[in-house]
Amino acid sequence: MIEQFITGFGMAMRLDTFLLMSAGLLGGMLVGALPGFTTLMAMAILLPISFFLDPIVGIPFLLGVYKGGIFGGSIPAILVSMPGTGAAVATSRDGFQLTKKGQSRKALDIALFSSVFGDTTSDIFTIMMIFPIAFLVMQFGPPELFAVLLMSLVIIAVTSGSSPIKSLIMMTFGLWLSFVGTDPLGGVERFTFGLFDLKSGIPLLPMLIGVFAIPEIVTAVMRHNSVLKLASLVGERLSLAELKRCMRTICRSTAIGAAIGIVPGLGQVVAAMMGYAAAKNASDHPETFGEGEIEGVAAAEAANNAVNGPTLVPLLTLGIPGDNVTAILLGAFVAQGLRPGPELFETQGATVFAILVAMVFANLLFLVIGYLSIPFFSKLVTIKTSLLIPIVIMFAFAGAYVFRSDSVDLIMLVVFGIFGLVARAAKFDVMPMVMGFILGPPMEYAFGQTIAMSNDDMIGFMLGERQAFLALLIATPIVGYLIWRRLSKVDTN
Amino acid sequence: MRLGNLKSTPEVISVVVLFVLACLSLLTLNYLVAPPKVLFGRSLTAIPPSLFPAIVISMLAILCAIWLTILARHKNETASEPGISEGVFRALALFAIMTFYALAMTPLGFLISTVISLSAISWLVGNRSIWQIAALSIVSPIALYLVATRLLAVSLPELSPIEFAYSRILGG
Repeated sequence: MIEQFITGFGMAMRLDTFLLMSAGLLGGMLVGALPGFTTLMAMAILLPISFFLDPIVGIPFLLGVYKGGIFGGSIPAILVSMPGTGAAVATSRDGFQLTKKGQSRKALDIALFSSVFGDTTSDIFTIMMIFPIAFLVMQFGPPELFAVLLMSLVIIAVTSGSSPIKSLIMMTFGLWLSFVGTDPLGGVERFTFGLFDLKSGIPLLPMLIGVFAIPEIVTAVMRHNSVLKLASLVGERLSLAELKRCMRTICRSTAIGAAIGIVPGLGQVVAAMMGYAAAKNASDHPETFGEGEIEGVAAAEAANNAVNGPTLVPLLTLGIPGDNVTAILLGAFVAQGLRPGPELFETQGATVFAILVAMVFANLLFLVIGYLSIPFFSKLVTIKTSLLIPIVIMFAFAGAYVFRSDSVDLIMLVVFGIFGLVARAAKFDVMPMVMGFILGPPMEYAFGQTIAMSNDDMIGFMLGERQAFLALLIATPIVGYLIWRRLSKVDTN
Repeated sequence: MRLGNLKSTPEVISVVVLFVLACLSLLTLNYLVAPPKVLFGRSLTAIPPSLFPAIVISMLAILCAIWLTILARHKNETASEPGISEGVFRALALFAIMTFYALAMTPLGFLISTVISLSAISWLVGNRSIWQIAALSIVSPIALYLVATRLLAVSLPELSPIEFAYSRILGG
């Protein structure tokens, strides 16, 4: 492991990696700072660019977009109380109150410092944890892998959207879509209706851009928000004493965010809310939370950014994307020939460490770039969306086309865009569908192998050789129910 | 319009459509999935190719039925989101333009189809400055085309005369 880490460290020290990462950070902050535009949209649209870059350049570029976008989303949340992402909702509670008090500069500074601290600490935690977890996962056989994939899908379903049943409907629909094309076990055609273009299955990239980016664009067009009232960046900068006062809160929120990040499906929104609630509970003056408390901004930002690193643990060790952003990252890994899973550490361990090391350095770049560019990005909050939407659509179409150079992908993009919009109107979360689509083939493969291994005696097989498989199957509904109950309480609070 | 006790909201219609699709697929699964490959009378795979889809689609049908039952028992109080019900015309027009863009990119080429689509989208989203629309619709596709083809070395669909003109101008 140490050798792979050292090799990876050396591989990450490339000028082009740092340049593209900086470009990604700036791009992410730019998109995040624009009200109505999300990090997810930026990542979906910029994903194809990463395909044409070296993995150690392309994936850190996307990670830069991700990190920059999360912080960028807090700029409109603090300045105009318009959270760009769900994760920034908790930030806007106290952040906007600070703006009203004429302390917007202080709010943005503490958001930046807590984001960078939470992110860096959790990335280091990820580097230390990922190899032991990968080693553990390598002991898994097909039955255990099937059970873990099933458990992940159930957790994702119960944690996303308002209703677990609706999310399970979307998840099973995603699994169904993954059957279109050629069967992974026997190589026979399924659900192709004789169409040649469907033989290789539904392409992932147009689906990702279609369901994530297009509905955002269409919603922005429907709402017709052209310009926002002018937001101002005023007040003193953050002092060292104020930062020291927030450090306990930042460390607590980082621990909460990192723990939540490992569990697939929970993500930044839950982390930010839990971090904020924990800070309020632990505070000597909880009544100031929601009234412009600087610790409130620190708690939410540290927690939501601390999710970024650990969310890669299930992705890289098991191939399970924890949320929609990591689903896009999975697309980048696969396109680069790096198939996430336990074998990845045997075959490409150094490359994985190079990407993780680049992630840590991205935070340092982020601190410098963020600190210098806050005034510029604060002005972006007022930019006209009528100038941006046409360009975003052009990028979406060009991005969907370039990977396979197939015009069918453009039709798929529009179809999935319509699907995403209908799902949004019907209040269905598309994330479980995408997860089902991505995890369908490995799940079916593991299922087939499990059946083959059992020799038509599944009960004897589970009770005898594969007790861990049985335990995971039994634990799945219990874990799903417990998480759902816990989250229901958080929502109510 | 009501479906039994259920109001025909987008949510209910979507679940009903999925339920019907799932039931139809289960009934016609043998036609939708090719038979397994056989060697000397034995299947080459441990499970038939329709087994896992049958389990998943059955689950989908059951979940849809459960959800519809729950909705029917509780009075359906789902209200449509205010932002979604407004601007439906703009959304339909945008999808019409995007469909044109998707269909026209190969026959007309990236540049011509993008110029037409971007101009229409700019107008649709409320930009009324002809100069801004023209600048945006002409400069951005050319810039993207150059970045994609020259910097990233990927191909975008283009008409031969335009590609030829590019090569002449840029010496590629």
